[in-house]
Amino acid sequence: MWQLQKDRERMMRIRVFAMRNMKEISRDSLSYIFCFGFPIIMLLIMSVVNASIPKEANMVLFQIQNIGPGIAVFSLCFTMLFTCLSISKDRANAFLVRLYASPMKGVDFISGYTLPLLIIAIIQCSITFLASGVIGLFTDYTFHFGNVLLAMVILLPSMILFIGFGLFFGTMFSEKAAPGLCSIIISVAGMLGGIWMDVDALGGVLAQVCKTMPFYYGVKSAKLAVNGDYAGLGKPLVIVCIYAAIVYLLAVLAFRKKMQEDLK
Amino acid sequence: MFAIETKGLSKKFGDKTAVNQLNLQIKEGELFSLLGVNGAGKTTTIRILSGLSKPSDGDAFVYGNSVIHKLAEVKRLINLSPQETAIAGNLSVTENLLLMAEIYGLEKEKARAKVKEVIEEFSLEEVADTKASTLSGGWQRRLSIAMALITQPKVLYLDEPTLGLDVLARRELWKIILGLKGKITIILTTHYMEESEALSDRIAIMQKGEMKALGTLEELKSRTGKTNLEEVFVAIAEG
Repeated sequence: MWQLQKDRERMMRIRVFAMRNMKEISRDSLSYIFCFGFPIIMLLIMSVVNASIPKEANMVLFQIQNIGPGIAVFSLCFTMLFTCLSISKDRANAFLVRLYASPMKGVDFISGYTLPLLIIAIIQCSITFLASGVIGLFTDYTFHFGNVLLAMVILLPSMILFIGFGLFFGTMFSEKAAPGLCSIIISVAGMLGGIWMDVDALGGVLAQVCKTMPFYYGVKSAKLAVNGDYAGLGKPLVIVCIYAAIVYLLAVLAFRKKMQEDLK
Repeated sequence: MFAIETKGLSKKFGDKTAVNQLNLQIKEGELFSLLGVNGAGKTTTIRILSGLSKPSDGDAFVYGNSVIHKLAEVKRLINLSPQETAIAGNLSVTENLLLMAEIYGLEKEKARAKVKEVIEEFSLEEVADTKASTLSGGWQRRLSIAMALITQPKVLYLDEPTLGLDVLARRELWKIILGLKGKITIILTTHYMEESEALSDRIAIMQKGEMKALGTLEELKSRTGKTNLEEVFVAIAEG
């Protein structure tokens, strides 16, 4: 009975703290620009690039069924940025100190930071696929609804991966240093994630480097899902899951360690 | 039983001793000041008393509960307003108060009723729906103290509550603190002599982690033969 009451109180603390974080992020206009505006703008730019290629060339540079899932993964970089900013700001203005003195425990903080960002990431991916679907109507490509839903599920490990990176950087570094470090991840994911190019067709050292990164597998599994290529899904999905588990676990350990150090 | 009691409380950071063998007994309802220059050990003492730091030696008790062995019980009895304002900037004043009430386990309806009560008590009506980050320093401090009090603590720690405020904002905050006097036990840290003089029942003067003097303002004046707290402080600090 006592344990039940404790669990209820914990759930309430997590809900309240998660709601607070959701409000903090949703009231920042930058969240809308980066999380929701960015993927749509990128999709539009790529469509304009495609449209600019003369018909005589008979080629399509960016296929919506490939660039859509790619941009969905790339947009998650900004979820990482907002996770990192939420934590580092709370550390900088001593809001966490106030909460450390409350009955909140480590798991309450971690869950409270993760849940709202997970919801934002899901909304972000939905908007990206919705915009891709609309663009597809103009480029004679129809997305299969079931495949898009599958891709959304398959993107969950990538969401956890990027939230994990954000949690780690926000915990370990200051409000000024953490966003800078996130921008490194954004650049690496952008260049080596296979978002703008077909890494498998490239080969060579660059392809090998790309294949050491979790981003490549996140993009690849989402592309395969959208294209209904279920047979090839297993390997990239397993790899991105392993990366996500490791990064998130490291972030949780880092948060707990930092909390213990703060309370020394 | 004392509201707060420390027994040989010490805190070391490597070779540096931040608090050294602090022995204090603070009665229920007392407004107790820890006075000292920067680095005297005031904030470290508050951090230990609120469970934010572990003592290297000795122990501290809040209503008989050890901060080492019964921290969960201690946390239910205390709250603090840190040196920094420590508020959620994008949330309104009402939302900040509601957040704290619910984190401490108050059901939504009860929390709303308590928020209304605290807003009236702290005269926060005119800024109740204002985003906290847009408030002036004085209002933010007022909110910070209200956030600590909404959880109905028996002991309130105020760490440099008027730091960086202008004279008028400081006086406004003093009124609020004086209004709380006798209702709950308050431990206040400050390096403003006039603040300590205006608010405290008893004053402890700390220097380099040690308590150099303890008593009411009158007791400290008669002990040093000085006429105001600033002179008392200088006399004690210079040994």
